Amino acid sequence: MLNEEEFLKRAELDRTTLEVWIREEWLVPVRSTEPRGFTDMDVARAKLIHDLQRNMGVNEAGLDVILHLIDQMHGLRKALAEAVATLRERTPH
Amino acid sequence: MRDPYEVLGVAKTATPEEIRKAYRGLAKKLHPDLNPGDKRAEDRFKEVSVANDLLSDPEKRRRYDAGEIDASGAEKAPQGRYYREYAGGTGHPYESHGGFADFAEGDDIFAELLRRSREASRRRPGADLHFVLNVPFLDAVNGATRTIALPHGAGPLEVTIPAGVEDGQVLRLKGKGEPSPGEGPPGDALVQIVVEPHRYFTREGDDIHLELPITLKEAALGGEVRAPTPAGGVMLKVPKHSNTGDVLRLKGKGVKRRRGAGDELVRLKVVMPTEADPELDRFLADWTPPAGYDPRKGM
Repeated sequence: MLNEEEFLKRAELDRTTLEVWIREEWLVPVRSTEPRGFTDMDVARAKLIHDLQRNMGVNEAGLDVILHLIDQMHGLRKALAEAVATLRERTPH
Repeated sequence: MRDPYEVLGVAKTATPEEIRKAYRGLAKKLHPDLNPGDKRAEDRFKEVSVANDLLSDPEKRRRYDAGEIDASGAEKAPQGRYYREYAGGTGHPYESHGGFADFAEGDDIFAELLRRSREASRRRPGADLHFVLNVPFLDAVNGATRTIALPHGAGPLEVTIPAGVEDGQVLRLKGKGEPSPGEGPPGDALVQIVVEPHRYFTREGDDIHLELPITLKEAALGGEVRAPTPAGGVMLKVPKHSNTGDVLRLKGKGVKRRRGAGDELVRLKVVMPTEADPELDRFLADWTPPAGYDPRKGM
């Protein structure tokens, strides 16, 4: 678990931007109350947001949509992976 | 390493704006997080990033064009892991079931599987909270109740310190952690105990150790002295002819546990008066030790 200081450094974020991202629910800290905690996953997610904004020119409204779709896609991928695994178990070889 | 112009699909004469556009176009297509199932996406994205790094920097581009550095000369692959490597796990706050909620409505095996997966993450417990609690020595021995002020929002946390708790021990308070992000149970509060040292008691396992000063007279003639124990003072019989270093055992006056109590081990220490005592001086001047008595004989 990372504290806010370590997280800001690793995610290359400033505090003001962090507040915005949390308010937009692009980032969800492990603990909602102070002191907030962050995971390596949050770092990777922050880098993804940076990539989308800086390198691909996605604006705020677009980011909202993209993150929402990415989250849904991962939910689907997991559901699909579980279904496939169960089917493989049940299918005679 | 491929030629960076070729990687980005631009002419050698491309303007910075053309390079930027080409890179953006490719990044959108190849970013690993936008292609979570494509193993090759990461390598291709890396290649594009390296090419862009080289060509978007006028100085590096000039040196590459002049043949001073090769295509890998400016290699600076993106650091760290991609989001997609984490997103496949369960129980993170970004989990979404919106993409298949409708499929989960049916009564076939797929619907069943999807419901199970959704249910599992809904019932995920909240995160554990970690605390460190300093406990005075006697509270650790006798047990106590302490209150931890929680970070704002949640109320204070009552911690019952069991008698005999040891330094470094972690108490788990069920359900006192973070609430579940879904409808699962809250996490636990984990309280690590740090036992503070005492002015004169020390502890070894369940035994309490104490160094007890006694007078010359108490040592020589014996007598009852008051000895502190974690549960209060008790009268201790000092036998005749006691000496510094003698250890007296107070049975059951140590740390009390369910499996029985430890002992208190009292190490006697003969001390001389700190202030001048003419009467003692006179007495000792008249005293002659028996012939041959020498406490330093063995040295």
